[in-house]
Amino acid sequence: MNINTIVSLAVNGISMGMIYALMAMGLILLIRAIGVMNFAQGDLLMFGAFITCWLTVDLKLPLWAMIPLSIVCFVVVGIIFMFTAYWPLRNASYPAATVISTMGAAMALKEIATLIWGSLPRSMPPLMKNPATGKVAVLKIGSITIQWQFILTIIVGSVFIYLVFVLFDKLYAGRMMQAAAQDKYAAELLGIPTILTTMATYVIVVALASTGGYMIAPIFMVSNTLGTLQLRAFAGVVIGGFGNIKGAILGSLLIGVVEAFSTIQFSQYKDAVVFLVLIVFLLVRPQGLFGEKIADKA
Amino acid sequence: MLQIRDLHAYYGPIEALKGIDITVKEGKITCLIGSNGAGKTTLLKSISGMIKRTGSIVVKGDGEIIDKNSRYIANHRIIHVPEGRHIFPGLSVKNNLEVGTINWHGFFGRQSYANELEEVYSLFPRLKERENQLGWSLSGGEQQMLAIGRAMMAKPKILMLDEPSMGLAPIVISELFEKIVQINQQGMTILLVEQNARLALQVSDFTYIIDSGKGILSGPSSDLKNDSRVIEAYLGKAVQKCD
Repeated sequence: MNINTIVSLAVNGISMGMIYALMAMGLILLIRAIGVMNFAQGDLLMFGAFITCWLTVDLKLPLWAMIPLSIVCFVVVGIIFMFTAYWPLRNASYPAATVISTMGAAMALKEIATLIWGSLPRSMPPLMKNPATGKVAVLKIGSITIQWQFILTIIVGSVFIYLVFVLFDKLYAGRMMQAAAQDKYAAELLGIPTILTTMATYVIVVALASTGGYMIAPIFMVSNTLGTLQLRAFAGVVIGGFGNIKGAILGSLLIGVVEAFSTIQFSQYKDAVVFLVLIVFLLVRPQGLFGEKIADKA
Repeated sequence: MLQIRDLHAYYGPIEALKGIDITVKEGKITCLIGSNGAGKTTLLKSISGMIKRTGSIVVKGDGEIIDKNSRYIANHRIIHVPEGRHIFPGLSVKNNLEVGTINWHGFFGRQSYANELEEVYSLFPRLKERENQLGWSLSGGEQQMLAIGRAMMAKPKILMLDEPSMGLAPIVISELFEKIVQINQQGMTILLVEQNARLALQVSDFTYIIDSGKGILSGPSSDLKNDSRVIEAYLGKAVQKCD
């Protein structure tokens, strides 16, 4: 194994890890805000991939029109998702009802995608093409070649992660969202419109996952099996220490890198390797990378 | 300031308040005492709009609020400090206080709340010292100060305190009640719910005693303090001898 392979696998792994991290962040935001483990996260990513593929390939929109339109779509999907899968059940006497309904939502998303866009996998052109040849653009440094798609994914992923941190740590509105997530009763007594903060959380969660879908679409085919990537994000959340955003990001990146490097030896077993890492973590450090802080952050 | 007439409140099919009349006078401390389950907390929840209720609640300047939701009531500066403090555990002390400003600041407002923050810090210097600590790491007394300070950030015209003394050491309680009296002396109208009847009667101007969701006795606190029925039921004979 030469340096060339190592670098390109690392970049590949980190960029996949970024996509898992976008999903994992969403998972934690929802767990914190409404206490729901969202099993539809992977299918939201799949749906986002289909939406962006539809806008780019079918409607042939240029990037400057595609981005705002897809944001509108993500917002709509987020709000519909909240008012169908969560809102009617929020006061259910059986507390797991909202969790189970996300599993139903996952199936519904798969079927809706099949109904609208058909069951055949679709291909999405790479976001960055070599203008001369029309093929995938690559970055060459000496003997190392890296696809621009992966670099772009890392950049976009980092920007989104940064934006979420700015929202929650620096902005007044983000603080209100955090407060509503931590103690809904006290937040309502102070006059925070908790329905709006919950809606905002849903929109952010869907936007994160769907953007992941957009970034991943040119790498994989766009099909309704993309939802299975959710398991990677879940592993990332557990490795990071359930409930900790920074931990989940690191855990997801770790999963991405391990997955990439495992393809050297046993490409067909890379799923097994991912879960082997998860099991090792559960045995050796069940509280996760940042586990000790869970109780504190509540 | 606040006139409550024939207030009924319900938890599902159970009627928790069975027609209560209370008047809270402007600039005074009005106190509500009663045993466990008498309906004191329910009464505050009915005023702040957290529970289904009927009857009439009229606020000076705002009119009838019986059909309004909790957000409307908080936005009209009637602020309820809940039992058990309910501070935001993962936010720092300063951020907890900031959250209190939402009812006049709004999500995207640009107003400064530096003055309000300064006032709360001068009232509770301990909070200033702990400014950057997370909420959960404070002691019980500090958490109660934070809960009251957070409510003060909302610029309330009526401050409702539910069991501020709960679970605190006697020395902390007396320190805390000094602050409550101090807040009242600056002109704040306070509705205080307390199980510690003796303390409540000491600091308040007017007291209502409720039991099983009904008002059973009311009067100026100085009179009730010496009322034989009150002494027997809420203060205890032994306590009176000690005094």
